[in-house]
Amino acid sequence: MNSQTAERPIEILVVDDNPGDLRLTVEALKDSRLPNRLYTARDGIEAITLLRRKSKYSNTHLPDLILLDLNMPRMNGLQLLAEIKEDLALKHIPVVILTGSKEREDIVKTYNLHADCYVTKPIDLEQFIKTVKSIINFWLISIKLPTEER
Amino acid sequence: MSQISKMNQRIVKSEAMTREIKQSKELFRILFYRSPIGTYIIQNGHFRLVNRQLAYILGYEEDELVGKPALSFVLAEDRDTVRENAVRMLKGGCSLGYEFRIVNKQAKVKWVMETVVPIYYRRKRATLGSLIDITERKQMEERLKQITAEMQHSNTELEQFAYVISHDLQEPLRMVSSYTQLLAKRYSNKLDSDADEFISYAVNGAKRMQTLLHDLLEYSRVGTRGKPFIPVNCEHVVEQAMANLKIAIEECNASVSYDVLPTVMGDEGQLVRLFQNLIGNALKFRRDEAPLVNIVAKRRNNVVTFSIKDNGIGIDPQHRQSIFEIFRRLHTREEYPGTGMGLAICKKIVERHGGHISVQSQPGQGSTFYFSVDTAGGESE
Repeated sequence: MNSQTAERPIEILVVDDNPGDLRLTVEALKDSRLPNRLYTARDGIEAITLLRRKSKYSNTHLPDLILLDLNMPRMNGLQLLAEIKEDLALKHIPVVILTGSKEREDIVKTYNLHADCYVTKPIDLEQFIKTVKSIINFWLISIKLPTEER
Repeated sequence: MSQISKMNQRIVKSEAMTREIKQSKELFRILFYRSPIGTYIIQNGHFRLVNRQLAYILGYEEDELVGKPALSFVLAEDRDTVRENAVRMLKGGCSLGYEFRIVNKQAKVKWVMETVVPIYYRRKRATLGSLIDITERKQMEERLKQITAEMQHSNTELEQFAYVISHDLQEPLRMVSSYTQLLAKRYSNKLDSDADEFISYAVNGAKRMQTLLHDLLEYSRVGTRGKPFIPVNCEHVVEQAMANLKIAIEECNASVSYDVLPTVMGDEGQLVRLFQNLIGNALKFRRDEAPLVNIVAKRRNNVVTFSIKDNGIGIDPQHRQSIFEIFRRLHTREEYPGTGMGLAICKKIVERHGGHISVQSQPGQGSTFYFSVDTAGGESE
């Protein structure tokens, strides 16, 4: 772990329209015991509004990681992903697709839109918690990201 | 011989001839006019001679038909077919029976089958036709076609339905199951013992429903998500199935043996699942001794029959059919876990491969499952 992460908590944006799913991800993140600050958004519009507002004020941090569901009303996960990856101020943020879908079509589409990885939500709770922990461990501890230098 | 006796002879002869002519006229009348088949001669496209049965089929009197253009009784859409067949007859000498529709005097449409041959009538080319009413047969054929189409439609719909419900029910169920598990994780031993018990029932119920839905989804996928048939080496298939069962095979110290197995046309993933379910059952329903499983294939014409023999607990012959039904179980969940979908999935896979599945067994004497695969490779609907 580098010194930067010790100074400020990890910031994670979770985008999911189902409050049950959202809460479950939040609970799993609580379990991870990493100091983190969570933001949640219920659809693509809410998420992109939050991200753009944050990117405007340089003194507030952009999230270190985005966990994104695919099926959402108004602006769905694919549309939000495209918006983020086309935005110069946002495109560096790793986006992990965390969804119930196992459809090949969804997997191919998201990678084509430069999703950083695709994870299917495990049905079993323990498995789900493990998966969320391993996502955090990999993206925010094991690997180097440009955000740490900012 | 005298002139008179010569004349007498001639008179006798001509009387005999007259009688013969009379008899053959009568025979013609019977054969033609009383024939139960519509019979007629057409010349230059018009009826020259018609019998009673034809008139009956068309709904007219016989003399109303003579002189009328034959095509005018044919349903407008079918006239080209009739013309084409007339041309074919002139070239080939005879036509096979062909079917078309006529419109009778009461404007009712009827299906008929006609056979025609070219003839000479009064020294000019003509057509001799015979015609029967096949309306009833056609109606039955139509009805049958309709029923078949309806059945196929409802089968597809049912498969789709099973797929959609098992797929869509998974999402809300994941919520129920996740949160009951979370309750158990956070609050067991913190509430009273009743609460612990209630929560554990809810957790187990949700888990069981997940397995049921998972298996139901897999069952419906055999029909809706099957892959096209390709040549599949069954030895590879059995090896894959055994690799998937590796832990189970090691745990019960089982030995699985197989002969030289052929290549068949099929869906590889489904054939692996089929062998895996059958071998898996042989391991699961074992007696105290180590399971022995033997797989043999026999080819007869285009059909390969596989047998999977085990030394397990066996099956009461009265359940021979019912074990292949969905959600059918012969034991309590405590004795043997499972949803009762395994053999139903096997049956569906075998049927998609144009085969049948059956079992021969006696309690305590092991079981042998047989299934056939049509190597000609036609996927059955």
